[in-house]
Amino acid sequence: MAELPQPAEARPPGRVVLPPHRERARRPFADRARDWARHNLFPSRGGTLLTLISFALLVLLLCGVIWYVFFGADWSVVSSNRWLLFAGSFPRDEEWRLWVGVAVVFFMIGVAYGLWSRFNRRDLLFVAIASAFLIFLMAHGGAAAWSSIWFLVALALMFGGYVVAVRIPRDNSRLRVRANRIGIALIALALPIVLLILMVGGGAVSTDFDGFVLNVILAPVGIVGGLVVAIPLAIGRASSLRIISWTCTAYIELVRGAPLLGWLFVALFILDDVIGGSLVVRTMVVLAVFTGAYMAEYIRGGLQALHHGQDEAARAVGLSRRQTLQLIIMPQALRVSIPPLVGQAISIWKDTSLVSVILPMRELKGNADSAIAQTEFIADRIEAYVFVAVIFWIVAFTMSRISQRVERAQGVGER
Amino acid sequence: MTRLKYLRRTALLGLAAIIGALALVACSDDAQQQQVADAGDVPSATLAAVEERGELLCGVKQTQPLFGFREEDGSVVGFDIEFCKAIAAAVGDDIDVRYIDASDAATRFTLLASAQIDVLIRTTTITASRDADLKVDFAQTTFFTGQGFAVHADSGISSTADMNGATICVQTGTTTEQNLADHFTDLGYSYTPLGGTSPEIQEAFLQRRCDVFTADQSDLASRVSNFDNPANYRVLGQIISKEPLAPGVRDNDSEWKDVVNWVVHGLIAAEEMGITSGNVGAMAANPPNTTVARLLGVAFEGGEVANLGFGVDPQFIQRAIAAVGNYGEIYARTVGDAVPRACTLNALAIDDSVDCPAGTGGIQYAMPYR
Repeated sequence: MAELPQPAEARPPGRVVLPPHRERARRPFADRARDWARHNLFPSRGGTLLTLISFALLVLLLCGVIWYVFFGADWSVVSSNRWLLFAGSFPRDEEWRLWVGVAVVFFMIGVAYGLWSRFNRRDLLFVAIASAFLIFLMAHGGAAAWSSIWFLVALALMFGGYVVAVRIPRDNSRLRVRANRIGIALIALALPIVLLILMVGGGAVSTDFDGFVLNVILAPVGIVGGLVVAIPLAIGRASSLRIISWTCTAYIELVRGAPLLGWLFVALFILDDVIGGSLVVRTMVVLAVFTGAYMAEYIRGGLQALHHGQDEAARAVGLSRRQTLQLIIMPQALRVSIPPLVGQAISIWKDTSLVSVILPMRELKGNADSAIAQTEFIADRIEAYVFVAVIFWIVAFTMSRISQRVERAQGVGER
Repeated sequence: MTRLKYLRRTALLGLAAIIGALALVACSDDAQQQQVADAGDVPSATLAAVEERGELLCGVKQTQPLFGFREEDGSVVGFDIEFCKAIAAAVGDDIDVRYIDASDAATRFTLLASAQIDVLIRTTTITASRDADLKVDFAQTTFFTGQGFAVHADSGISSTADMNGATICVQTGTTTEQNLADHFTDLGYSYTPLGGTSPEIQEAFLQRRCDVFTADQSDLASRVSNFDNPANYRVLGQIISKEPLAPGVRDNDSEWKDVVNWVVHGLIAAEEMGITSGNVGAMAANPPNTTVARLLGVAFEGGEVANLGFGVDPQFIQRAIAAVGNYGEIYARTVGDAVPRACTLNALAIDDSVDCPAGTGGIQYAMPYR
């Protein structure tokens, strides 16, 4: 944005001199608003025309969306089928496990935000709108009071965790160091903890994972497993030992060379003979292997972005190879790679919808296909797909916002 | 190069070689075991596997209205699903059904061939090329339908004779598409096909981007009756192809195919004989005639129980009937009024009292069970 005209000449003598932005803020709101509008909306005849046209289009679009959401669409296909879409064949008696899992995840998000960031107004607005949307869906058509209450409990836990974590001072105290460690451990263990809650002591078996639950179990395994595979691959590819660098390169090129759909076929028909086990586990392996190949290249990019002086300096102060890698190189390389890594994470989140295209497993989108095969909802498929798209978007957008916070906290792009 | 580096390199190469060798051994080992397993599997491997597992792996479609879809509570339901339950009950009372999703048309036969399912029941049409190429054997047809047409009620179209130059919505890459082309070639008519997936062409038809919507007649009927204003559309009585929908089993397992086959026949026979899920217990305790006694696997007036030797006990059809009822009950419960039975080809065993276009009489009847 260009600089606004400086109103500073008219300043009366003897007043405290404020920085320009504070000075502008002192002017009456109406003045500021007029200046802003003239500057940004009506700078010239062409600009005014553009503003009017875009404004008209926006209003039209907004009216269309509002009309569709509140009057045009029949959301009963979604509200009647919320269980099918959410958990499908997950044992109904064990529903509480799902909600405890949701609560744990929400709590961890709250703790992470409290420890390393702050909820700002935009975050809260997003949480409020998303929650209102979900509660509206759960309450629509009745008989879902319990789900809404569970959801509110999870939300309360998120803010509870946030309020506690945010009070920990941001200094180098021992308390802070310990809190950071616990926070990292909690996040690393989130998925195993949730899986334990879902499965242990007569809970679900892996074939019960269905609908949205299947998406949110597969995607983190792909992302975390991918990172675990990727880091050694990236280091290995840069190795001076040819056999190692060739092996890593071969792996990366082989896996990246075929589409994910193809690798899912491998999970279905080839891994069955090679490693056996449940199809869910085989799919997890394939997702991690596939994501790992991409992430390795992003991390290699991060490694190459580092000046070799870093390596030399670390060696010069007497760090071993391992220490250099662990303390100097990887932290910086990973920080540089955050944006593409998150891009890959969001991509694999959306790719989980591929499993019901060819695998005998049904995730959210597959269950939407089943819902619109119910005779009373044959005519309501657009509503079902819009809902699926919105759910995918909410999760992807949350991931993107959290990653922006991590980037800011790590100072990506500033150094 | 320092000596140390050289040594390390050699060691790593050696290690890689050893791992490679181990992998090779493991692989060939696997292959041998596989061969042994296959060789020992001659008398119905599938039936033995189902009994041992305690579970029937039934490959079903989960996106087909009426035939295989999912209820709001997540359960899998539909006409095809009832036959899964019947087959499981026939194998044994303690056999559960696990539904394996075979919604994807492209992988369904591979799922069957790779033994990830025991039986495929998902509106699959019997065709010669599938039987020959795809390692599948078909059992008795459960549903006879054919390719039909839906039109807008005000279009004045009453058969393909009125369709010269029409735009026709047809699912891409199906036998439906080929049948349509053949039919119009025979008529000497021209038409404009509008392709897509079945939800896409449904939407195109609703928006009047095409005059005619063609698919399996049972599919059309169930869709049209649930459109917003069903009276604005009409499903024509004309059928231009045969689409017998049947359960598929793996090639070369004739004993398993026999079980599946005779469960279907048994359910149809039960309807012809008036045996229902409600009265099957009473019928078995006191069979009215020898035919019923033989079907239910019980003795008639102090005679012997007829064991036809299917690898399962003689009461298997009785258990299937007790679990899901006879063919008519299944039809009424799942397809019901959405596609009146007398308007399909499945109606021979019942009265043809519903007002339907001429020429749709039934062809569904049971083979003699003796």
